[in-house]
Amino acid sequence: MTAIRCSQLNKTFTQGDQIICGLDDVSIDIEEGSFVCLSGPSGSGKTTLLNAMGGLDKPDSGEIQVGDKRVDLLGKSDLADMRLHSIGFVFQAYNLIPVLTARENIEFVMQIQGVPTAQRRDKAIAMLEEVGLADHEDRLPSQLSGGQQQRVAVARAIVSGPTLVLADEPTANLDSTSATQLIELFVSLNRERGITFVIATHDTRVMAYCPRLIRMEDGKIISDEERTGKSGELQPQPS
Amino acid sequence: MSVTLRLAWRNLWRHGRRTWLTVGAMVFCNSLLVFLISSQLGSYAMMIDGTLGFLTGHLQVQEQRYNEESKMRYTVPDGIAVAKALRDSTGNPAIAARGSAFALASSEDRSFGIQILGVQPQFESAVSTLPGLIDQGRYLQSSDAAEIVIGTVLARNLKIGVGDEITFLGSGRDDSFAAGIATVVGIINSGITDVDRAIAEIPLNYFQSIFAMEDDVHSIVVKVDDLDKVAPLKKQIQSQLGDSSLTVLDWNQLQPGLGQAIQADMFSSFLTYAVLIVLVAFSVLNTQLMSVLERTREFGVMTALGVRPGQLGRLVLLETAIMSSLGLLLGCVAGGLLTAYLAHTGISLDAMKEALERYNIEGRLYPQLSIISLFGGPLIVFVGGMLAAIYPALRLHTLQPVAAMRAV
Amino acid sequence: MADHQPAAGILFTLAWRNLWRNHRRTLIMLIAIVIGVWAMILFSSLMAGMVDEMVRGGLRTLPGEVQIHHPDYRDDPSIANSIDAPQGALLERLNNPPVTGWAARIKVPAMISSERANRGIQLLGVDPAQEVSLGFDPTNIVEGRFLEGPDDKGLVIGRKLAERLETRLGKRVVIMSQDPDNNVADRGIRVVGIYQARLQATEELNVYGGLETLQKMLNVDNQVSEIAITGDDFRQVASWWPQIQQATGPELETVPWMELDGYLESMMKMQTSFNVIITVVIFLTLSFGLVNTLVMAVFERVREIGLMMALGMRPGWIMYQVLLESIILLGLGLLLGNLLAVATILPLEDGIDISALAKGLEMAGMGSTLYPSLRLSDMVLSTVVVLVLGLLASLLPAWRASRYNPIQALART
Repeated sequence: MTAIRCSQLNKTFTQGDQIICGLDDVSIDIEEGSFVCLSGPSGSGKTTLLNAMGGLDKPDSGEIQVGDKRVDLLGKSDLADMRLHSIGFVFQAYNLIPVLTARENIEFVMQIQGVPTAQRRDKAIAMLEEVGLADHEDRLPSQLSGGQQQRVAVARAIVSGPTLVLADEPTANLDSTSATQLIELFVSLNRERGITFVIATHDTRVMAYCPRLIRMEDGKIISDEERTGKSGELQPQPS
Repeated sequence: MSVTLRLAWRNLWRHGRRTWLTVGAMVFCNSLLVFLISSQLGSYAMMIDGTLGFLTGHLQVQEQRYNEESKMRYTVPDGIAVAKALRDSTGNPAIAARGSAFALASSEDRSFGIQILGVQPQFESAVSTLPGLIDQGRYLQSSDAAEIVIGTVLARNLKIGVGDEITFLGSGRDDSFAAGIATVVGIINSGITDVDRAIAEIPLNYFQSIFAMEDDVHSIVVKVDDLDKVAPLKKQIQSQLGDSSLTVLDWNQLQPGLGQAIQADMFSSFLTYAVLIVLVAFSVLNTQLMSVLERTREFGVMTALGVRPGQLGRLVLLETAIMSSLGLLLGCVAGGLLTAYLAHTGISLDAMKEALERYNIEGRLYPQLSIISLFGGPLIVFVGGMLAAIYPALRLHTLQPVAAMRAV
Repeated sequence: MADHQPAAGILFTLAWRNLWRNHRRTLIMLIAIVIGVWAMILFSSLMAGMVDEMVRGGLRTLPGEVQIHHPDYRDDPSIANSIDAPQGALLERLNNPPVTGWAARIKVPAMISSERANRGIQLLGVDPAQEVSLGFDPTNIVEGRFLEGPDDKGLVIGRKLAERLETRLGKRVVIMSQDPDNNVADRGIRVVGIYQARLQATEELNVYGGLETLQKMLNVDNQVSEIAITGDDFRQVASWWPQIQQATGPELETVPWMELDGYLESMMKMQTSFNVIITVVIFLTLSFGLVNTLVMAVFERVREIGLMMALGMRPGWIMYQVLLESIILLGLGLLLGNLLAVATILPLEDGIDISALAKGLEMAGMGSTLYPSLRLSDMVLSTVVVLVLGLLASLLPAWRASRYNPIQALART
């Protein structure tokens, strides 16, 4: 099954008086349960592509299908619902709402979904355990390290059982130990729950784990390599 | 433009919306103050004119005791001559002598106790607006004819009109029986019921003969065209009177209620203004405190570069001063234009008609725009704004460069 | 797609915690709102106290909240325009609630003369018991006594009038008026009491004599000029005076105080508009700060707002969150402001001495003590104005917050 199908996506931005090509005739298919890296230098269009998949941004032309929905045709509220129920997001930084504790951040999504209180709480605690932060539930984001914050963000991304997680430079602000822990968490979630991961990154530590690596430059896909084996079976290679 | 000034100016517009909202609060408050203070001054002028213009005048020469106890026998001797002397010496033509007595006025059908004034017909119209308010007939002409003008309500109550006769009975200066019959020649309609119910005027010489006054009068009324002239004129007349038993009273002594009513109104208005100014000051305090706190890192860098906290404090005060000046300028312009427009067209007071009749005010209110009403309120707002910036500016002294640079 | 209920709980948590994130700013704004609300209620109470005092004083002077006259009496207050003392249905009506007191009195203009001076006055022929029920306070008699019955042969005059006439207790004065046939009716009467009144003008104007004594002097049998009626609360008069009118019948004129004294009514109206204007003006001054605070609060949270949107929070809820923040701030301010107002006004309800301005206040028809009157309606007015206008003022920042594009918001540094 195809999780995401993008065909002929185009998007331009203006910055100052320059017209920048965000996406230039991009077409890709991503299979369900796959673990995909989008890489490339900054400005290459990987974040734009990721945002388009998540319905955060609309392409100027082209079609995007996520599951059975045409993302490019949905309205704002439907997009919000889609993000709420079917897609998990992990961003580079400022992933958590600063006034809510770790557990409340995870509960936040469920709360807007209307999950009953008791259920919500148990689930959030279970998620925190899963990401290894069981004893940090009452800490505010400012009391957590960068790596811990990102793991809370992951827990929040998967708590409502999405089939797809989109991560944008999730390791950018992390030291290498935290980065490795985070990426291994992604891998285990991909293998155990079959969640599709699309990760935009220029971190080679992350790329090393990916069976499929799509490289972009100036809004175009310049290479799309499949490596055999499942995520995590690949060993980190020295870059 | 100095570097500091340029820096302050640019800092303000880093958060244009916030700056405009703060300036907006000041502009709103300032325009309101300009308008309210101008209207207040305008209404006081109307109250003073309205209350004094009908009869009282701005100054009166009386026997020392007359104002406290208005007895028939406390008189100004040879009043007509004194009035003439004052007209000549002061150069002010609006000076007239009056006599005053209580009497029972009777028509064929009715009797009422009223106050009768003896006036000099040729001078009265210079000190009182009543002669100009004749509705039927004419005002008094000859100074010794047996004629009377009365208010329209009194005429209705007595059931008489122009041409009818009124008999009045009272007592003269020497407690003798005083009686006279006068023909109604005119009816005054001032539009103020209390005035129209009470007013009755007869010629002064006739008054003097009926009430056994000889050449005496009870008061000499002086009207001026500018309130500022009252005090010097009072002094001049007083010195001219010398050590006689006579005294000069100004309107504040003649109508103490008026000045106090104005004071009471001023006090309550200023209480309101104070609250508005405090609220605006809070607005400035909030903005400047935010602006200082969010620049902690920047200020840390500047301190590390050797800028002294005092200089940073001055920067914050300078920013506030620019903001407050904008508020002052725009507020004065907006308030001034609004007020000038209303001073031109006037504000209808019909809604408060009954309340204002107490002060003989009718018609439209014309706000008085002056230096004081234009800049008084806004300047205090300016000072309030500057005071509010002191706390944020002082906070800078507690700044620790290293900690500040680490702050987000 | 699941249909979700707005999760009010989380919105409230977010709003509350966000509010205290920048506690200095919130506290300053809160203090400003408290001062504003306090001032709104304080000014309204002072105004209410002032107007109440004026109206009560005015009603004492009238007196009564409703008066019955001959249809021509108000225009021509002569003894010729007299009416019968109440009887039958009207008497029945007057002796039952909501009427708490009434007096049938003669009230005609007259001339009073002492040996030294004479004055125009208002001569009142009264039954003292009825006058007391109407509100005349016998302790206001400063010398001598009040009348003892409708047949009392003495006269009670005001302190100021006594001064003007240069007369005193026990002296005889001459009263001159006219009878229904326009003949001069006069009589020498001894002053048996001197009263003081709130206003000097009253002391100079009103002279009390026994009803029957004056009826005899003026040559009328059991006739009166007016019937003055009072109830519990002058604000309620509109609800009951038509009953009196009905009992009186169409041939006589029944008039409530609102018509009798236009000044008082216009003061009441002025009070209402004053309260609304002062409340709105104070609020508007506050509103700039309020909007500023919200704009700042939204501005520094743009990233979070982007994040919440990216996570699937609908734009509307972002708006509710900001509005909720505003409501909490306003609500707290209202609560504290109201409490502060109650705490400052209640101790003042015993009266503030403002006798330094007595003459000016007398001119406006007031006594020299101001009794602030804390009223629920003023508190409700300020609460409604602050909440409704506050929400309106908050709409713009809230709406702007909901219009952010999540990507741009997230990209903001």
